[in-house]
Amino acid sequence: MQAGSSGVGYGLKYQVHLIRLSADGTELICEGLFSHPNEIWDLRSCPFDQRIFTTVYSTGESYGAAVWQIPELYGQLNSPQLERVALLDAHVSKIKCVLWWPSGRNDKLVSIDEENLFLWSLDSSKKAAQVQSKESAGTMHYLSGGAWDPHDVNSIAATCESSVQFWDLRTMTKTSSIDVSHVRTIDYDTKKDHILVTAEDETGIHIWDLRKTKVPIRELPGHTHWTWAVACNPEYDGLILSGGTDSAVNLWLAPTGSRDEITSDSGQNSLSLKVDPLVNSYTDYEDSVYGLAWSSREPWIFASLSYDGRVVVESVKPYLSRK
Amino acid sequence: MEMEDPPLDDKARRMRDLLSSFYAPDPSMSAGSQPKGASFDNIDTDSFDADQYMNLLVQKANLEGLLQRHVEMAAEIKNLDTDLQMLVYENYNKFISATDAIKRMKSNIVGMESNMEQLLDKIMSVQSRSDGVNTSLFGKREHIEKLHRTRNLLRKVQFIYDLPARLGKCIKTEAYADAVRFYTGAMPIFKAYGESSFQDCKRASEEAVVTITKNLQGKLFSDSESIQTRAEAAVLLKQLDFPVDGLKVRLFEKLEQSMGDLQVKIGDIAGALEESNDEHENNLQLGFSVPHDASVREFVEAVRAYRIIFPDSESQLIKLSEDLITKHFLTTEQYMKERVSTATFLRVLRIIWNDVLVIDEVLPEGLLHDYCFKVSQSAVKQYFSSTFSHLLQDVSDALMNVHVKPKDVSEEHHLQVALESGKNSLLKGSMDLLLGLRQLLEDNLDLLVKLRELMTDWVQAGFQQFFEALDTRFLLLSGRNKLSSQGQSPREGLQSEKVICGLVLVLAQLSVFVEQTAIPRITEARTEMAASFSGSGARGYEHGPFFLPAEICRVFRSASEKFLHHHKEPREVHMFVDLFLQELEAVGNEVKQILSQGIRKHRRSESNGSTTSSLSNPLRDDKLRRSNTQQARSQLLETHLAKLFKQKVEIFTKVEFTRESVVTTIIKLGLKSLQEFVRLQTLNRSGFQQIQLDIQFLRTPLKELAEDEAAIDFLLDEVIVGASDRCLDPTPLEPPILDKLIQAKTAETREQNSSAASSTTQQRL
Repeated sequence: MQAGSSGVGYGLKYQVHLIRLSADGTELICEGLFSHPNEIWDLRSCPFDQRIFTTVYSTGESYGAAVWQIPELYGQLNSPQLERVALLDAHVSKIKCVLWWPSGRNDKLVSIDEENLFLWSLDSSKKAAQVQSKESAGTMHYLSGGAWDPHDVNSIAATCESSVQFWDLRTMTKTSSIDVSHVRTIDYDTKKDHILVTAEDETGIHIWDLRKTKVPIRELPGHTHWTWAVACNPEYDGLILSGGTDSAVNLWLAPTGSRDEITSDSGQNSLSLKVDPLVNSYTDYEDSVYGLAWSSREPWIFASLSYDGRVVVESVKPYLSRK
Repeated sequence: MEMEDPPLDDKARRMRDLLSSFYAPDPSMSAGSQPKGASFDNIDTDSFDADQYMNLLVQKANLEGLLQRHVEMAAEIKNLDTDLQMLVYENYNKFISATDAIKRMKSNIVGMESNMEQLLDKIMSVQSRSDGVNTSLFGKREHIEKLHRTRNLLRKVQFIYDLPARLGKCIKTEAYADAVRFYTGAMPIFKAYGESSFQDCKRASEEAVVTITKNLQGKLFSDSESIQTRAEAAVLLKQLDFPVDGLKVRLFEKLEQSMGDLQVKIGDIAGALEESNDEHENNLQLGFSVPHDASVREFVEAVRAYRIIFPDSESQLIKLSEDLITKHFLTTEQYMKERVSTATFLRVLRIIWNDVLVIDEVLPEGLLHDYCFKVSQSAVKQYFSSTFSHLLQDVSDALMNVHVKPKDVSEEHHLQVALESGKNSLLKGSMDLLLGLRQLLEDNLDLLVKLRELMTDWVQAGFQQFFEALDTRFLLLSGRNKLSSQGQSPREGLQSEKVICGLVLVLAQLSVFVEQTAIPRITEARTEMAASFSGSGARGYEHGPFFLPAEICRVFRSASEKFLHHHKEPREVHMFVDLFLQELEAVGNEVKQILSQGIRKHRRSESNGSTTSSLSNPLRDDKLRRSNTQQARSQLLETHLAKLFKQKVEIFTKVEFTRESVVTTIIKLGLKSLQEFVRLQTLNRSGFQQIQLDIQFLRTPLKELAEDEAAIDFLLDEVIVGASDRCLDPTPLEPPILDKLIQAKTAETREQNSSAASSTTQQRL
C-alpha cells in the first residue's frame, strides 16, 4: 500500500502536495511539498508512473502546461524543486487540460486549449515533448475540457459550450458529437464500453450510450447547485461519484445494464423507477467540491478536494455491502 | 502333540484338498508331500522345506520326542495311502455308472422315428378326406347364392318400375320426405342402368324429383311456411344433392343485408341522441327506438329460423351477431371521438345491451355475453381515456392561452388569469368527470354491473395516467425537456425565455395546487364512490395498485422543485446588478400574482421570529464595519477568520411554495452562481472593486426581498471573498467612497423606475 492513492493538492501558494494514505487507511500523510512556479489550474497524474504528473498553470496573463517528475525524497520536506520533464509550449490560447490515456502505458499526451487540440509524443528519457499533430476545433466553440476513452487509444471526448465532441486522434477529425450544454466534466466508464457520464451545471448528471447519442439513457438529479465533477468507479458497475458547488459529494448507483428497460420505463411511467439512485450524500464539506478521484488500488476509496483546500478520503464500503 | 488326535472334519478337509490337487492342472501339488515332514499345519504348503523342518525338529526335540514323532508320521503316511486308494475306487465307480446311463439312452431313442412317421401319415389322410367333402358341396352352394341374387334384383326392378308412380303419389300428398327417400334409394340403379333398360323410368322419376325440388325450394324461401317445414325442406334438398350451400350463402347474404340496415338505424339513433339534448329528448328517443326494436326483433327471428334450418350454421350466425355487436361499438366509438356526455354514452350502451340480450336468447351457445363484455370493455376504456384526454386538453389549453399570446392587454395579470383558469379547469373538469363516471358506475345495467370492478380500476388508472400526463405536459411547457424539443429554444430565443419563467411559476404553483387540493378532493370523491357501491369499489381502493395519491404528490412536488431550479438568473458578471434587480422585481411581480397574501404574511412573521437570522446578523455586520476601517489585507484575513468561526450556513434548503421562499431561493441560486463564476476568473484591482461595490449595493435590496438574511449575507460575503482570492491586487474600496457611490446609484435607480419601486413599496406596506 506504499503510495496507494496519491492525490495532489494545489493552493494559493502554488505548491504541489504529495499525499499518502497510510496503510490502515485512517490517516493522510503529506509526503512531500513541492513548490510550483505558477498558479495551477489543472493537474493530472500519470497512470503508469506515479512520480510523473502534468499541470496546467497560469502566469497571470498567459497559460502554460508542463510534465513534471517528483524528485526522489531523502527525508527532507522543505519544498524541493520539481523536475520538469517537458514543457508543452505550443499553445497560444487558454489551456484547459492535459490528458493521459487512462488504461496503460502510452507515450502520447493530449492537451486541450480553448481552440485547439494537440497530440504530443512524450519522450521522458530525452526530457522532451514534441507536437505530433494539432487540430483547430473551430472558432465557433470554446473547448472546456475532455476525457480520453479508456477503451480506445485513438478516441477522445472534448467538451465545449454546447456539445461534447468526439475526436479521432489518428486523423485528427471530429467523428461525432452529443448536443448537451454547459458540461463541466465528462468521464468514461472504464468497465463498460460506450458509456459516458457527463456533469452539467444545471441539469445534473447524464449517462450516455455513445451508440445512441440522441437522448441520455439515464438522468440523475445531480446537486442543488452546479454539478462540477463526476467520476465513475473503476471496478463497480454503475457506481458514480459527483461533487458539486453545494458543498456535497453524492454517491450514485445507476447501473446501465438493462438500459432498454430503463429507457422505455422512464418514458411513460416514472413511478416504476422506485429505486433511488442516490446512495449517499457526503455533506460535511465547508465549501464547493471541485476535485474527485477513485483510488486505483482499492476501488472503494475515493478522495475529494474542496475549495478550502481540504482533501477528504472516504470509503464507500459500507454502502457497497448493503447493495 | 497337537496332531495326536486330528478332528474328523479336519481330516475330511484334507481329503478334499488332496482330491482337488489330484485333478488340478498344477502337478507340483501332488509331489508336494514327503514322508519326512513333521505335523505342523504348514506341512501341506508348497513352500515346505523338508531339510529346514528336519533341522528345526532335531534342534528342538529330544530323542524320545523324535522317535515318537517318527511313529506318528509313519501312521499318518499309511492313512494317507488308504485314503488315496479309496478315492481311486470311488472315481472308477462313477465312470462305470455314467457309461451305463449313456448306453440306456441310446437304446431308448431307436424306436421314436417310426412312431413319428405313422402320425404324419394319419394326418395326411384326414386332410384329403375333408377336401373331398368340400368340393362335392361347392356346386350346390353356388347355385343357392345365384338364386338369391336374382330374387333381389327382381325386387329392385319392381321397385324402380313403380318409382314414378310412387313419386307422383308422394307429390300429391306432399310427403316429400318419403319421395326423397325412394329416389335416393333408386339413384344407384339409375346411375348404372339409366342409359339402357330403365330409360323411361328414369326420365319420369327425374321429372317428378325436379317438381319436388322446386316445391321444396319454394317452401324454404317462403317466410310464411313454418320454420319446421322450412328446416325439413332444407334437409331434403340437401339429400337430393341440391347445392344447399349456395342457398345458405344467399340466405345469409340476405340476413347480412338486413343487418346492415339495422346498423344504419343504430347510427341514426346515436346521432339523434346527440342532437336531442333538449326537451325533445325523451320523445325522440322513444320514436327512434321503436323502429330499432322492430328491426332487432326481425333479426332475432331470422337468426332463430336459420338456426333451425341450418343446424351447422351456428358458428356463422355467432360470427354475424358478433359482427353486429362490434359494429355497434364501432359506431359508438366514432361518436366518442367528439365529446359525448356520460348520459348519452350510457344510453347508447343500454341500447346495445338490450340488443345483445335479445340475441343471446336465441343463440345461447354464442356466449355473446362474454363477447359483448370483451368489446364493451375496450369501448368503455376508450371512453374513459378519451374523457381524460379531453380533460388534459382543457387544462393545457387554459395554460397555453398564456403561453401563446403573452403580449395581451392585461399582461400584468395574465399569469394570475392563467393560474386561476388552470386551477378551475383542472378541478371542475375532474369533478365533472368523476360525477359522470359515477353515474356510469351507479347505473344498474347488467353489463355495467359486471364491468363495475374493472371500471373502478380504470377510473383509478385513468386518474393516475392523467396526472402523469399532466406532469409531463408541465415539464414540456417549462422547457425543461430542452433535449427532446430542441427546435424550440433557438427559434424563440430570449423572448420565450422570459415567458417561460412566468409560466414555470404558474406551473409550479399549479402543481402545488394539484398536490394540496385537487388530489385529496378527488380521492375523497373517489372514496365516496367506493362506499356507494359496497365491496367492489372498496376492493379496488385497497388493492388499487394504480392510484397512489401520495406517490402523485411526491411526483408533483419534485416536478415543481425542478421548475424552480430551472429558473436561474443570467450569469453575467458585467453590469449584472441592474439586470439582476430588474429580473428579481419581475419575478417578484409574477410570484405576487400567484401566491396568496395570507400565506405571505404568515411566512413573514415566521421569518422575523427566526433566531438564526437575528443572532448572526448584527454580529457579522459589526465585524465587517470594523474591519472596513482597517487596512486592506488584514481585513481580508479577518473575513477569512470570521468565516472560520462562523457556523456553516445551510444555503440550500427545501423550497416552500410561498412567495418569499421562491424569491429567496432564486436569489440564493443567483448569488451562488456568481460566486462560482468569480472563482473562475482572474481579476485586476478595478474588477474586484467593481464587484465589491456591486455586492455592497445589492445587500440592502436583497435583504428586503429575501427571507433568509443570514444565508444571503453569507453568500454576498462569499462573493467578495472569492473575488479577493482571485484578484491580483485585492485592495478594497474605502468605506466612505463605497457609501457615496451606492447613494449615487440608489438615487439613479429611483429616478429610473420610481413608479415600479413605489408601487412595490406600497404593496409591501
